[in-house]
Amino acid sequence: MNPAPRELDVRPILRSGGEPFQAIMEAVNGLEAGQALRLFATFRPQPLFKVMASRGFAHEARELEGGDWEVLFTPRETVAPVEVSADAQDPEAWPDPSEHLDLTELDPPEPMVRILAAAERLQPGEVLFALLSREPVFLFPELAKRGHQWAGNFDETRTTFRIFVRAGKKG
Amino acid sequence: MPGATLSRWTMSYFAAACLFLVIGEGMMVIGYGYPFAGVDAPETLALVHVLAIGWLGLLMVGALLQFVPVLVAAPLRGGRLALPVLLLLVGGLLLLVGGFGALAGVGGLSPGVLPLGALLLVTGFGLAAAMLAATLFAARPLPLPARFVGLGLLALVATVLIGAAFALALSGAVASDLITTLLIHGVPLHAAFGLGGWLTLTAVGVSYRLLPMFMLAPEEARGTSRVVWWAGSAALTLVVVRIAWLVFDASATEEPLALAGLLAAVATILYCADVVRLFRERRRKAVELNIRASYAAFAALLLSVVMFLIPGARAAAGEGAGAIVYLFVFGWLTGLGLAQLYKIVPFLTWLECYGCVLGRAAVPRVQDLVREGHSSLWFCLYYGAVAAATGSLFAGSPLWFRAALLLQLIATLGLAAELVRARMLSSVAEPLRFPVGTPRPHLFLPISRQQE
Repeated sequence: MNPAPRELDVRPILRSGGEPFQAIMEAVNGLEAGQALRLFATFRPQPLFKVMASRGFAHEARELEGGDWEVLFTPRETVAPVEVSADAQDPEAWPDPSEHLDLTELDPPEPMVRILAAAERLQPGEVLFALLSREPVFLFPELAKRGHQWAGNFDETRTTFRIFVRAGKKG
Repeated sequence: MPGATLSRWTMSYFAAACLFLVIGEGMMVIGYGYPFAGVDAPETLALVHVLAIGWLGLLMVGALLQFVPVLVAAPLRGGRLALPVLLLLVGGLLLLVGGFGALAGVGGLSPGVLPLGALLLVTGFGLAAAMLAATLFAARPLPLPARFVGLGLLALVATVLIGAAFALALSGAVASDLITTLLIHGVPLHAAFGLGGWLTLTAVGVSYRLLPMFMLAPEEARGTSRVVWWAGSAALTLVVVRIAWLVFDASATEEPLALAGLLAAVATILYCADVVRLFRERRRKAVELNIRASYAAFAALLLSVVMFLIPGARAAAGEGAGAIVYLFVFGWLTGLGLAQLYKIVPFLTWLECYGCVLGRAAVPRVQDLVREGHSSLWFCLYYGAVAAATGSLFAGSPLWFRAALLLQLIATLGLAAELVRARMLSSVAEPLRFPVGTPRPHLFLPISRQQE
């Protein structure tokens, strides 16, 4: 469930001749993941739609009685949920990756070979980051078998899979 | 946990499937079944089921057990049923063929085994469909390729149930007007469900995922691909309508079938446009043999569907449009099956043998397991022979048909030998062949669990 939309009424600012842009951006920055913003203004805020679209929000505007406008900005759900291995606890707390691999141009199964080879070079607890053009479904069980943890998902365009691998104890 | 592991029994399915393909082609070489017997003769029924269940059915179930988890990035449900299903399907097929043999007058056999064979096949395919459907169901919302597989499984169930009704009628175990009507009018529908619904829709779905994977082409589902799915669903629905109609009125109109044929043609043309687009948008410039051989199969699909819709061509194709059905089964379904086996078998073997030492020891590349030059000649011979066999059926020349079939059988055996070489790692140079810690592959049995 997404949290309830946050409401922001900039009509008082506009009526007093002020500029509400900064207040709106502060509100946007304070949104939780997946939370929408309900904005009230004295006119249809056309320029804002483009700004919000570039930040990944869709909009829905309707005119209220008396000529004011209500706009609901909802975040587009473009980012795939993060998948993690069964034993991966708290991936946010993992150290920064010590190795970065761009494997997007390699034919499968070469990316799998490269990641497993790179994981062999890591010290226990160290992390590598890799970009792939596919979800490496055959890699996941192989990582688990070797005691490595992983977390990964597709980017917004669904064309690149991003994966963090945290090396387990040397087996 | 997301991810896909090796399906333990898939190689056994593939081995049994290839064996039945060789048996089926061998039957035609020695002049058994159509065109040396009628389309509805028991000999032809035996031949057709050896190919449709033994070769294509086992191939597809074995491939889906491996690739449905890849399509949905989730583990297979009920994987322990894989071996019982294989035994049920092979046992059911042998009983079915035995029953047809009895109808053809082979001594020592009784048509009474037909319902028993049907029971085993219904159970086997039912369990296979249940495993795969449960895997799909747990992974909703489904990506488009997986939705094709879902549709294919529905068609599989329909095909098998109609087939079981036929088995009851042919064995004489059950006599009812309804089943007799179904037997008189329903055989083309049974074939349409099986070849068009189950085998083709499933192959289309899996190819939408595997082709971009092998060619590094963009994978997102296009509008045209969605139309293919909807057209396929609508065509299947119309066939169901036709069957339901038959139940009430044996003289029912065939209009739903004409419309279903038109929808199938639309779906085929859009699908072929999709695979051409994938080829053009690929990032991997040099295409491997499995891709080139697959495109020959796509050409056969397009050609057979278009010819089927041209009344003149259909009339010239002989009884039951035999020549066109032959092109569809051997050019499209079998051609694609062999082409994909040529990729899948080396890949699964590579993963099975070298998976545990990847990154720790030098291992061969997947393509080092096969000899592309030799295999390429076998594929050329195979497709050439299929074209010749199709032509000889159009020309009504059984002698040329047998000659073409002999070449087709030789090409099939050549490709099967290449697959065996891949399984045994025969083409891999010695220092890389068995790095320390790698298990030895078995030809068609899984590596025992202790070695994993």
